[in-house]
Amino acid sequence: MSVVITPEMVAQVVVSGLLAGALYAMVALGLALIYGVMRVINVAHGTLLTVGAYTTFWWFNLLGLNPYLSLLFSMPLAFGLGVGLQRLMVRRVVRAPELSSLLLTFGISIALVNVLQLFFSSNLRSVEFLTGAFVVGRVAFSKSRVVACAFAVAITALAYWFLQRTRFGKAIRATSQNPEVAMVCGVNVERVHLYTFGLASALAAAGGSLVAVMIAIQPEMGQVYTFKSFLVIVLGGAGNYPGALLGGMFLGLVEQLSSLFLTTQLNEAVAYLLLVLVLLLRPTGLLGGRAT
Amino acid sequence: MRRGFLVAGGAGLVALALYPLVGSGYGVRFMLQLFMWIALAQSWNLVSGLTGYVSFGHVAFFGTGAYATAILVAAHGWPWAPAALVGGLAAVALALVIGYPCLRLKGPYFAISMLGLNEVMRVLVSYFEGLTGGGLGLSLPALYASVPIYYAMGLSALAVTAAAHLIITSRFGLRLMTVREDEIAAEAMGIDTACHKLYAFLLSAFVPGVVGGLFARDQGYIEPVAVFPLAFTITMVVMVLFGGKGTVWGPVLGAACLFVLQELVWANFIYLHQLLFGAIIIIVVLFLPRGILGVLQQRYRLPRHV
Repeated sequence: MSVVITPEMVAQVVVSGLLAGALYAMVALGLALIYGVMRVINVAHGTLLTVGAYTTFWWFNLLGLNPYLSLLFSMPLAFGLGVGLQRLMVRRVVRAPELSSLLLTFGISIALVNVLQLFFSSNLRSVEFLTGAFVVGRVAFSKSRVVACAFAVAITALAYWFLQRTRFGKAIRATSQNPEVAMVCGVNVERVHLYTFGLASALAAAGGSLVAVMIAIQPEMGQVYTFKSFLVIVLGGAGNYPGALLGGMFLGLVEQLSSLFLTTQLNEAVAYLLLVLVLLLRPTGLLGGRAT
Repeated sequence: MRRGFLVAGGAGLVALALYPLVGSGYGVRFMLQLFMWIALAQSWNLVSGLTGYVSFGHVAFFGTGAYATAILVAAHGWPWAPAALVGGLAAVALALVIGYPCLRLKGPYFAISMLGLNEVMRVLVSYFEGLTGGGLGLSLPALYASVPIYYAMGLSALAVTAAAHLIITSRFGLRLMTVREDEIAAEAMGIDTACHKLYAFLLSAFVPGVVGGLFARDQGYIEPVAVFPLAFTITMVVMVLFGGKGTVWGPVLGAACLFVLQELVWANFIYLHQLLFGAIIIIVVLFLPRGILGVLQQRYRLPRHV
C-alpha cells in the first residue's frame, strides 16, 4: 500500500493537529493546576470530562439546548463537584504520601464511572450537531472541531488572564511556587486548594462538552483523557503552565502525523511511545521546567 | 504459637492439594479463580505495597502472558506449562522496557504510565492481527482439564506468597520499604533506589504473566478486551488495600474476603460492582490506610512478617 503524501495532506494534518491540541491543552491545564498547587495527580480528571460530556448530551437531548450553550451548565456543575470532592475527600490526603492521593482519586474515578453507567448505560451516545466541514482551498476543517478549538482557546485565555491578573490567580501561583511562604504572606492555602480543584474540574468538563459534539460518548471515555492530559504536562514540564499549552499542541500534531504516516489505530501507542521517550530523554519537559 | 501456625498451614496445604479428588466441578473452579486472585493481588503488592509505586496497569502483564502462552500453544504446539512460563518471561521483558524509563522518576509518572500501558497493549494486540488474530481472538486446542490448571494456579499463588514472605523479612524488602517511606532518605543512606524499584517491578510482573498464560489455557479462547480489562487491575488494587498493603498475608486475606463476597453477594448486584470497589478504595485510603491486617497487627502487636 503506497500513498502519495501531498503538501495538502500535510497542511490538513497540521491544521487538525493544532485544532485537537488546543483542546488537549485546556483539559491538561486543569490537571497541571491541581498538580502545581497540591502535588496531587488527579486520576479522576478524565472522568470529570466525561461528566461534562454527559451534561451536554443530556441538555441537548432533553431540551434541545445548543451544545455550546451547555458549557454554562457543565462548567459550574463540575466546579461544584470538584469543590465537593476536594472538601470531602482529597483535602485529607494532600499532605499524605503520593500513594494515597493517587489511590483515592482512582477510587473516585471508578465510582463516578459506575454512577454514570447506572444513569446513562454503557451505550454509545452522540450529540448530532454542527456536522460537515468548512473547505478552504483543498483543506477541510471539520466545523465542530473548529468551533471547539475556538472555545478552548477562549476559555484557556480566560483562565490565563485569571491566573496572571487577579488576586486569587496570584494566590494560586504563589501556592504552587511555595505553599509555606504563600501561607506566611497571608494566602489561605486551604481555600486555594478548594477553588483550584473546582476550576480544574470546570476546565475538564468544558473539554467534555466540546468533545461531546465530536466523538461518541460513553462512561469510560475519560480515562484516555487522564492519560493524555498527563502526557501533555510531562511534555510541557510539570508545574509549568505555559508548557502545558505547548505540550497540548505538540501532542495533537504528533497524533495527527502518526495517523497520516501509520494508521489512526496506533494513535495511542504512538502517544505512549512519546511519553516513554520524553521521560527517558528530557524528564523535565520540552521547555525544561522544574525538575520533579 | 509459631509451630501451631506451621502445622495449621501444612494441614491447609494438604487439604487444598487433595481437594480436587473430592470437590465438585464448581468447587474446583471456584478455588482455581481464588488462587488466581491471590497470585495477582500478591504480585501487585510486591511492587506497589512495598515501594509505594502504584501500578495502575498491572493487568497488562496478565494479558501479555496470556497472549504469549496462547500463541505458543496454538501456533507452535507447545505444552501449556512451559508456554505459561515463557508468558511470565514475556511479561518481565515488557516490565523492563516500561520500568526502566518510568521508575527513575517519582510516583505519579509511574502510576499514569502504567494506566496508559494497558490501553496501548490492547491496541497493539488488536493491530498485529497476523500474530494475535486481532479482534477475533485466538482459540486454543480443546483441553478438558481444570485440575492441572488448579494445581498450577495454586502453585503460583503459593510461590508468590512465599516470595513476599522472603522479601519482606529480608534486607532487600527493608530497602524497598525505605523507598516507600522516604525516597530521598533512602538514597542518602546509599540505596540505589532506581535499581531496587526496578527489581521489585520485574519480580511483580512475572507471576501475572504466568497466571495470564494459565488463564488463557483454562479459558481456551482469548481476545483483547477479555485479557486486558481495567477491572482486573482495580480488583487487584482493592484486594491488597482491603487486606493490608505491604504485608505478607494481607493480599491473601483481601483476595479471599472479596472474592468470596463477590461470588456470594455481589453477583446479584452486578451493576453496582465498580461503585462498591471505588467506595472500598476511598474508605480504606481515608480511614483504614493499613487495611484489615494492619489494624489487627496494631491491636494485637503482631510481628511485621505476618
